[in-house]
Amino acid sequence: MPSNKVARAPKIGRKTTKVSEAVDELEEWRKGKQLLKPKDQLELSEAELKEIIAKQLSTTNAQSPDNLVEFSYAQGAFMSMPPPGNTVVVYETIGTALHKDTEEAKFQLLEQGIDPSTYGVSDDEEEEEAKPEPPQKPAEGEAEGEAAEQDDENKEEEADDDVSRVEKPDDEGEGEGEGDAEPETKVETSKAPPKGGKPRKLTNQFNFCERAALTYNNPTRSQETQTVPPPMATFSANVLQWVIYDGYQKDFEAQQLEKELERERKEKEKAPVSKHQPQRKTPGRSQLSEAVQGRVLECWRVLERMINQNTYDDIAKDYRYWDDPSDEFREDEGTLLPLWKFTYDRTKKNTITDLEWNPYYYDLFAVCFGFLDFMKPTPEGAVCMFTLKNPSFPDYICMTESGVMCVDTHPRYPYMVVVGLYDGSVQVFNVYANCKEPAFRSNNVTNKHKGIIWEVKWAPDLPDGELNFFSVAADGKINNWVLMQNELSVTTIITLYLDKETVPGPDGTQLRVKGCASCVKLHPKNPLIYLVGTEEGQIYKCSTAYSSMFLLTYNAHQMPIARIDFNKYNTDIFISCSGDWRIKIWEDNRLEPLFVFDVGDRVGDVKWAPYSSTVFAAVTTEGKVYVFDLNVNKYKPICVQAIVSKRRNKLTRLSFNPKLPILIVGDDKGCVTTLKLSPNLRIPCKAPKKQQHLDQWTLQCMKLDKLLSLVREPVNLTLPEDTAESEDS
Amino acid sequence: MSNEVEETMKRIQSHKGVVGTIVVNSEGIPIKTTLDNTTTVQYAGLISSLADKARSVVRDLDPSNDLTFLRIRSKKHEIMVAPDKEFILIVVQNPTD
Repeated sequence: MPSNKVARAPKIGRKTTKVSEAVDELEEWRKGKQLLKPKDQLELSEAELKEIIAKQLSTTNAQSPDNLVEFSYAQGAFMSMPPPGNTVVVYETIGTALHKDTEEAKFQLLEQGIDPSTYGVSDDEEEEEAKPEPPQKPAEGEAEGEAAEQDDENKEEEADDDVSRVEKPDDEGEGEGEGDAEPETKVETSKAPPKGGKPRKLTNQFNFCERAALTYNNPTRSQETQTVPPPMATFSANVLQWVIYDGYQKDFEAQQLEKELERERKEKEKAPVSKHQPQRKTPGRSQLSEAVQGRVLECWRVLERMINQNTYDDIAKDYRYWDDPSDEFREDEGTLLPLWKFTYDRTKKNTITDLEWNPYYYDLFAVCFGFLDFMKPTPEGAVCMFTLKNPSFPDYICMTESGVMCVDTHPRYPYMVVVGLYDGSVQVFNVYANCKEPAFRSNNVTNKHKGIIWEVKWAPDLPDGELNFFSVAADGKINNWVLMQNELSVTTIITLYLDKETVPGPDGTQLRVKGCASCVKLHPKNPLIYLVGTEEGQIYKCSTAYSSMFLLTYNAHQMPIARIDFNKYNTDIFISCSGDWRIKIWEDNRLEPLFVFDVGDRVGDVKWAPYSSTVFAAVTTEGKVYVFDLNVNKYKPICVQAIVSKRRNKLTRLSFNPKLPILIVGDDKGCVTTLKLSPNLRIPCKAPKKQQHLDQWTLQCMKLDKLLSLVREPVNLTLPEDTAESEDS
Repeated sequence: MSNEVEETMKRIQSHKGVVGTIVVNSEGIPIKTTLDNTTTVQYAGLISSLADKARSVVRDLDPSNDLTFLRIRSKKHEIMVAPDKEFILIVVQNPTD
């Protein structure tokens, strides 16, 4: 209210002076109440104090801005705003007073049970009563020095306020600062409403009342218990990559199992009346321990090989790296380096009757222990499978009750081993499954040869996939055995009747003389053809298609034939050896041998080398190994080496390793000796300059052909043309 | 089968230069030995932890790989170890004999 201020400013100046005078006269009791002056108050002279400082207040706000602008996005320009008003709101409050004539007030009065029409009258009366007082009040409080005009002003003001003051005692705060008599009026005014005899007190217009209650507080009590602490354990682990991998692997397996079970369940639902599901066998304790035992055995075997590797370290190095350096300076001669010796304690008295490398594992070979000295038979025989990696003990041992005379390993199933025995029976071992008992054996009474079985050979599988093999025996029969479900079925392919006069039997019947087969060799390319050698010295070329006749008969030797072997490169060429000291090389359909070698003692075995078309080796009972290379020398062996002592031991069999430059020879004391062929014994073919593209196989064939063309005698000799005559004409 | 295992073990013991053989079970306890007590215990404890470590190395390099055998060549001996889940076979050999 700027107008008020204008009016009062001079009034205050006057008032102070007047008050100081009045204090002395009327209000001595107030003397103790000296006004305290601040220390830094300016000391003003009387004249200065009296000076009237005029302050002009205008209704315009000098500070209000007159050029307010606002940016309008709509117009894209600053727009001037209307000037703000001069009014400044300093304080604002919304009162709760109601005018008595308003509808709301009337309604409120009705609520209180007062007739609004009468209320106005009684109020007026009260006002009449109260009215005289307010004028007194300022009169009392300010009479001392207040000017009359001031009083009038006050009166006017208060008269205006009176109406509100009845209902609004709050306004009295303003008055309090001015006077002391006010509490009296306040008491009166506050007491006024009960005078009207109101039945209910109006607390507020919203009819709000608050009621509070305090409940008892429960006494607090604290109680503590302690539980048994959970068990603790220290756990520490390393997490490595493979641990995580294993975890995933396990999880994957579990998932697979889950799927499998799910599928089975579905299948069951689909076919509820299906046949009984085979129970999934959970491995029992005994089976598990059996598996562990198997692994233990496996580990022991490997360890044994390691021990042997350490023990025979020098031999192993020789086997791998040593090539006789003196070969370079020797023309056309080679040597054999003895490596490991293989023996088995239980068969030391047996003669080695056959040796055969495994067709699948190049380091594994089978050895037959039987006897050839028929005056002193040994009670038992065996087939042992040795590996070069363990010279101290055979990997597989199959014991038999009679001497083993021959063996053959199936080329496609290297664990199927057939053996022919001295007593004329045959046995088939599955060494992988069981070495102790044969998987198949011929019947000892009805189903056997009536003589020593000299050779067994696996034949190509039958169209049904059944395994079958041939056996030749001293009884002159060649049998074919087929492995059926659980027995051997036998058919006699041929009986070797000799082309001789019949002889009278003991009961007068005429008997045809039979030849005693001593060896057999199947043709490597034509499965129908095979060669049979006999104790009489003949070689019969037979076919499985004809059981009563021979395709060809070679009068090869004078003594029992020990071995026939086809050349690896040219299957028309075969070699034979016999007890008549001779080794002969034959060509198919040619009754005369191409080569004859005399080695000066009984020849136990002869074999073509797998790596060359012109190399073959033979063993003699003298204990010597002969190696021939026809390409180098057509008349003499390129290596003769005594392997065992001449007096005590005889060599019986030999076999070339199909892959390594190694030869094994067996003697009659159950000992197998490994020999390494020196470089001169295994010279590879050198391709001629113009034919560098040819591979070793072709070169070997060419080498043999060239050699044979030199020794072949033409069937019909034709006179060469007389060159002189032609020149003349 | 166990008979065969027994035989093989006996045979190995008779090999040239073999000082001793030990069979250790999965818990690292020697169950069969040809050496004296203290040596056996020492070998079993040390070798089984070494074999574990070696397996860990091999598996960590390639998780699909696994350790099959372990040979330790020392100045005096060669220790050959065949570690398995269920057992460890140890052979001590003096190869220079």
